[in-house]
Amino acid sequence: MRGNDDQKLDALLRAYRAACSGPEPNANFMPELWARIESRQSVTFSFRRMANAFTTAAVALSVVLGVYMAIPRSNPSLYNETYVEVLAEANTPDTRDVVNPFTVEVERASR
Amino acid sequence: MLVDFGLITRAQKGDSAAFNEIVLAYRKRILGTITRLIARPEDVEDVAQEVFLRLYFSLDQLRKEEVFEPWLYRLTVNAAYDYLRKQRRRQEYRMSDLSEQQVMLADAMAGGKAEQEDQHHKKVREAVDSLLGAVSEADRILLMLKEVEGLSLKELEKVYNVNENALKVRLFRARQRVLKAFGASGKKEEAG
Repeated sequence: MRGNDDQKLDALLRAYRAACSGPEPNANFMPELWARIESRQSVTFSFRRMANAFTTAAVALSVVLGVYMAIPRSNPSLYNETYVEVLAEANTPDTRDVVNPFTVEVERASR
Repeated sequence: MLVDFGLITRAQKGDSAAFNEIVLAYRKRILGTITRLIARPEDVEDVAQEVFLRLYFSLDQLRKEEVFEPWLYRLTVNAAYDYLRKQRRRQEYRMSDLSEQQVMLADAMAGGKAEQEDQHHKKVREAVDSLLGAVSEADRILLMLKEVEGLSLKELEKVYNVNENALKVRLFRARQRVLKAFGASGKKEEAG
């Protein structure tokens, strides 16, 4: 069973609803609302336009970079040789051997 | 429902006249609810416009027309929360900015304005506002929707997207706290 305070509180809350019945809508309510809607729409529209421009620029840049990377370099053989081939080219039979003197010094030290 | 489903469907498709009709049908009710939620008559229209603005931009997300009203209430509650949050910040800033003399002057002006209001309504409002001060802002809004706006538990379930039992528990606890404050204020009056 609900107590006395419960009923009094219910009555007070009902009276509160009557005491706060809300204002009568202003005559400018609708025009102001539409003005706000339009201003929000224009902000959204310009943001969307900026986003579109940014996306287009990003796509264009990607295409340009893709084309740039696909163009063959001026010295194509440089990257066609393997590591071993480059080493062999650098160490031809007439190249001076720099390891021998070191071997000699190691032998002397062991004596 | 104050409007038929067809009108909502038309508004969802971008029909401005249909949207206008929806606003006109719900305007008074939303203004009343906001008045009770934020308790600042001068800002009620502004918050109500924010509610309808949000409605306009999110209407296409509404899947079932049957949930339109709870959904509109959710938008109203969210706008009221946002307003109260902003207001709290602004008030802190304002009060810290004013000199003692300015604060006293502002109080006197508010007092003068209040005198013009109906005394009985004023007393009721003050009593309820003070009682609802015993619960959190969220519980105050929940209690208001249930006890003053008269929303059913089923409707509140749709507004808050939580199950009925959780709402019952929250409502019971909030009401108990308000009842306790109510009892205490009654005893104080009797003693005085």
